[in-house]
Amino acid sequence: MDLIYYLVDVYETNAWAPRALLASSLVGIMCGILGSFVVLRNMSLIGDALAHAVLPGVVVAYIAISVIGTALLCDGLTHNECSDLLKEHHSLGFFAGSVLAALLSSILITWLQKNVRTENDAAIGIVFTFMFSIGVIGISSISKGHGVHLDLTDMLIGNILGVSDQDLWISLSVMVFVVSSIMIFYRSLFATTFQPVVAETMGIKINLIHYLLMLVLSFVVVASIRTVGVILVVAMLITPAATALLLTNRLERVIIISGLIGFAAAVLGLNIAILVDTTPGPMIVVVCTFLYLMAVLFSPSKGWVTKRWNKKKLRMALGNENTDIE
Amino acid sequence: METTISIKSLSVSYEEKIVLKDVNLSIFPGRITGIVGPNGAGKSTLYKAILGLLEPNTGSISIQGRKVHDVRKKMAYVPQKDGVNWQFPTTVYDVVLMGRFPHKRIFQILSSEDHQIAVDAMHSLGIHEFRNRQIGALSGGQQQRVFIARALCQQADIILLDEPFVGVDVKTEQQIIQILKNLSDEGKTIMMIHHDLTKVRTYFDDIILLNKEIIADGPVESTFTKANISEAFNGKLTLFS
Repeated sequence: MDLIYYLVDVYETNAWAPRALLASSLVGIMCGILGSFVVLRNMSLIGDALAHAVLPGVVVAYIAISVIGTALLCDGLTHNECSDLLKEHHSLGFFAGSVLAALLSSILITWLQKNVRTENDAAIGIVFTFMFSIGVIGISSISKGHGVHLDLTDMLIGNILGVSDQDLWISLSVMVFVVSSIMIFYRSLFATTFQPVVAETMGIKINLIHYLLMLVLSFVVVASIRTVGVILVVAMLITPAATALLLTNRLERVIIISGLIGFAAAVLGLNIAILVDTTPGPMIVVVCTFLYLMAVLFSPSKGWVTKRWNKKKLRMALGNENTDIE
Repeated sequence: METTISIKSLSVSYEEKIVLKDVNLSIFPGRITGIVGPNGAGKSTLYKAILGLLEPNTGSISIQGRKVHDVRKKMAYVPQKDGVNWQFPTTVYDVVLMGRFPHKRIFQILSSEDHQIAVDAMHSLGIHEFRNRQIGALSGGQQQRVFIARALCQQADIILLDEPFVGVDVKTEQQIIQILKNLSDEGKTIMMIHHDLTKVRTYFDDIILLNKEIIADGPVESTFTKANISEAFNGKLTLFS
């Protein structure tokens, strides 16, 4: 009980805490929902790639905000007033820059896959590691040059305490975008994921659905970076979905359960992180993995332990302990 | 007789390699047409061309007198079982209901009529009792029936099957061929890629012998001759000695 009082106290006395809770919940839910398709379409590597590839976009956005913003908005203001004013626009600028970098990468990857004889996953690897490297070089050079706060560690593992109101609005909009896209295109998504060729014979534009999914994925990945960081986004996409796939056999339910697992992991992970005073992003991922492990062992139909247990019960019922039942 | 599918001087090549050469074909309604030929004969490519999945280099295909893209709803493709992800989280009912997708616009919700059509299709293939099963929990024959039920649910006039009897027991094979015969009696056009030459005479009304080009096509009795088979299979076949 003391722990709960402690948590309530944290939420009441720190302005960042409720914002962090809301942000991570949104990330958990939207990654969970979209992750169902990422897993079923074998797009995990693409998700990981898009997350890493946003770094140069962030750098470019940062420079653009500093240069253009200073020129346009800071006329007659002191240095401090100016940087405060620009900070209000950081989140949206970063979001735009990141999404552009992610989209550019996905176009590059698709182009390589279709026009050059490089294997699909190799093409993904080449593009995202290049983008990531450019981003890291960019970040280290601007932080040296201007003494500004663009922290590589924040980008890599998230900085949930730095969530701004603008970040929250962006996350909320992305969430609405994800949910409505999936609802509107559900039939096409289902058909193209399950049997792409059959879907195409039905007149469904499989390329259009692919690019739509890449667009949604870029948005989700970028919206998640503040919470869990570039490296861990992919875990939020695949672990809850993989867990849900162990628990049910219907796509609609996989999507809903995966969203709920993402939500639960985010809330639990954040609160545990607050209690033990550690970084929330990795803790959320650890909770995700723990839930996955529980499903691996105890899923009612597919759990490892459950299957053993059922076999044992069957053996007992047959009254012969030595019968080998497969 | 009126044709359902009419193909005129169709040629397809992938990167300089000719896959189909000057194919001329007429496919008729109310008949089951078999397609046989050795591996790499272009059977799947022919399907892809008919289904509008690839652009032919030359030639034209008209279906019920119209272009492929205008009659998509009318054609149902029943794919080979091998290429399907049977672990996919979906049920018999959901897969059969896919047959209604081509009839719906993006914002249209499936109506109770759509659901009734799916239920009827499942009943006529005897899979209604399995409707809530995950598709991986079915036998090979039941899985094949799910796809045929989807074709029915699509209310397609033309059904293209790709090796439907692979991994299916003899009894189910008989049941499925009977279902297909009933459908063709109703006036539907059935095409089937098939590899078991011993069944050609009992299963098909018309036969196409394909080996990159059409070796022979027409009614089974007059077309499925030793000479034609031998030519299609490059003389390697000794099955009919």
